[in-house]
Amino acid sequence: MRLVIARCQVDYLGRLTAHLPMAPRLLLVKADGSVSVHADDRAYKPLNWMSPPCSLAEQPDRWTVTNRAGERLIIEIDEVLHDSVHELGADPGLVKDGVEAHLQALLAAHTTVLGAGFTLVRREYPTAIGPVDLLCRDAAGLVVAVEVKRRGEIDGVEQLTRYVELLNRDPGLAPVTGLFAAQQIKPQARTLAVDRGIRCVTVDYDELRGADSDELRLF
Amino acid sequence: MEFELERDAFADAVAWTARGLPSRPVVPVTAGVVLEVTDGALLVSGFDFEVLNRIEVPVTDKSPGRVLVSGRLLAEIARALPPKDVRVAVEGNRLAVRCGSARFNLPLMQVEDYPVVPELPATSGTVRGDVFATAVAQVTTAASRDETLPMLTGVRMEVTPDELIFAATDRYRLAERHVPWQPSDDVASRSVIIPAKTLSDAAKSLGSASDVVLSFGSEGGGFIGFSANGRQTLTRLLDGEFVKFASLWPTESTTTAEVEIAPFVDAVKRVSLVAQRFAPVRMSFDENRVQLSAEAEDESSAEEELEVGVTGEPLTIGFNAGYLLDGLTAVKAPRATLSFTTPARPTVITPVTGLADPDTANSTGEQTYRYLVMSMRLRG
Repeated sequence: MRLVIARCQVDYLGRLTAHLPMAPRLLLVKADGSVSVHADDRAYKPLNWMSPPCSLAEQPDRWTVTNRAGERLIIEIDEVLHDSVHELGADPGLVKDGVEAHLQALLAAHTTVLGAGFTLVRREYPTAIGPVDLLCRDAAGLVVAVEVKRRGEIDGVEQLTRYVELLNRDPGLAPVTGLFAAQQIKPQARTLAVDRGIRCVTVDYDELRGADSDELRLF
Repeated sequence: MEFELERDAFADAVAWTARGLPSRPVVPVTAGVVLEVTDGALLVSGFDFEVLNRIEVPVTDKSPGRVLVSGRLLAEIARALPPKDVRVAVEGNRLAVRCGSARFNLPLMQVEDYPVVPELPATSGTVRGDVFATAVAQVTTAASRDETLPMLTGVRMEVTPDELIFAATDRYRLAERHVPWQPSDDVASRSVIIPAKTLSDAAKSLGSASDVVLSFGSEGGGFIGFSANGRQTLTRLLDGEFVKFASLWPTESTTTAEVEIAPFVDAVKRVSLVAQRFAPVRMSFDENRVQLSAEAEDESSAEEELEVGVTGEPLTIGFNAGYLLDGLTAVKAPRATLSFTTPARPTVITPVTGLADPDTANSTGEQTYRYLVMSMRLRG
């Protein structure tokens, strides 16, 4: 990642032409070859940019970025105020299902939330059609397959039904029942689950995490 | 199957049943209404595994049978029919609806695939329709709409030999109402949790009846029924133990204020216009007046002063305007008493009444309704 702060003017020549008059701006040159021109506003959105694949030809007072279609971003540099390069490496990526994974970990640690006397067999119990979130034993020692979701919808019930069906073919585990645990369960998903003999449990993520809001409540 | 009846009776029956049908049914057949003619009358019913709505209407020129057709379509057709007698008959695999010169044919759905509907539990007793409707409205206002804790989306009904005690809470407020009832001789004391939405719908549609019949049978039945005027709603009860709420009621108060509800409600509404969604409305009670104020982060603010009867220590307290207004409008009386302890403790709202009005007090003049609302922290 190369950061350049410079007084520059920018012209874009391609399917449309655009001109940015002389002013101080941030120029970003990323490892993918892309070049973008930022002003000190509009958050992530550049004033002008060239997406990869493209090539940058650098002269002391003029950068020319060209893409395959022959479109050109021409940056005339009057004065360089800052120029630095940082090696960021590969990004681990945006984790959007963090809550669900955390919920699974919390439930594994507090299996009694799922039912009195529940004990954990293991997390991510492997099956031929994918891992079951939690495999537990209930107070009577019978195996319970648990599917953990943030929002309990019909597809989650379908998924759990497939796991339960498969696990029940294993004479070492059968009889296996299903348990659908979510922060919120849609009425339709609940109805379908009950119809299939799957128990539903709504879990309070904040309570499990031990974090409560500072609002005043009756209880 | 064949029958004939008046257009309005048909349209009402179908509309009432169809309204309760799921918009996106889990099983396609539950989008249908069952039309059943037996020796007595026509029964129109809809069931979505949770709630069963059933209405009985007298019909003439009938032959028995039971069919299933799309509820939404039948309701739309029934509503649009001209004001003449309606003749409905099964012709082959279709349902023919004739009214005046209008004719409709609807495909029949597979009635064999229709789920088994729950049976109405044994009759438990009756309650006055208008009292039931008011009581349910007063209590369901405090029920939670958030499905996270299913138990809080319900209304707890405690059954005693001479009273039904309804209660609901969403952690921020708690409403409780006592209602006299006439139990059948052998009803044991117990309590059940009824889904608030269904209870509210049932109370609204049955409230015009002089008496509403409650049927919840014996312990562990899992369903409760409400019937009046040939209409019947059966709903699945919620599992679990309700919150132990009796201890939440404060036993003493340091300040009480008696307010005339209409002007107080208007003032709270005006002041709350500038309060942002989770910002409190501040109230300072002091020597027969209350100062209401609210402010927003952008520095807009509102103030108003009202004369009210205050006894006890001066007090400044903050409220969520919506929760406070719900309670003030639910007391259904011209005046209410607000009882405070400290700014961080909840406030009790009760109606002020000297009469033995069944809507607000029982025969001995005791209050039958109370609403507890949690305060909000005031900053700065």
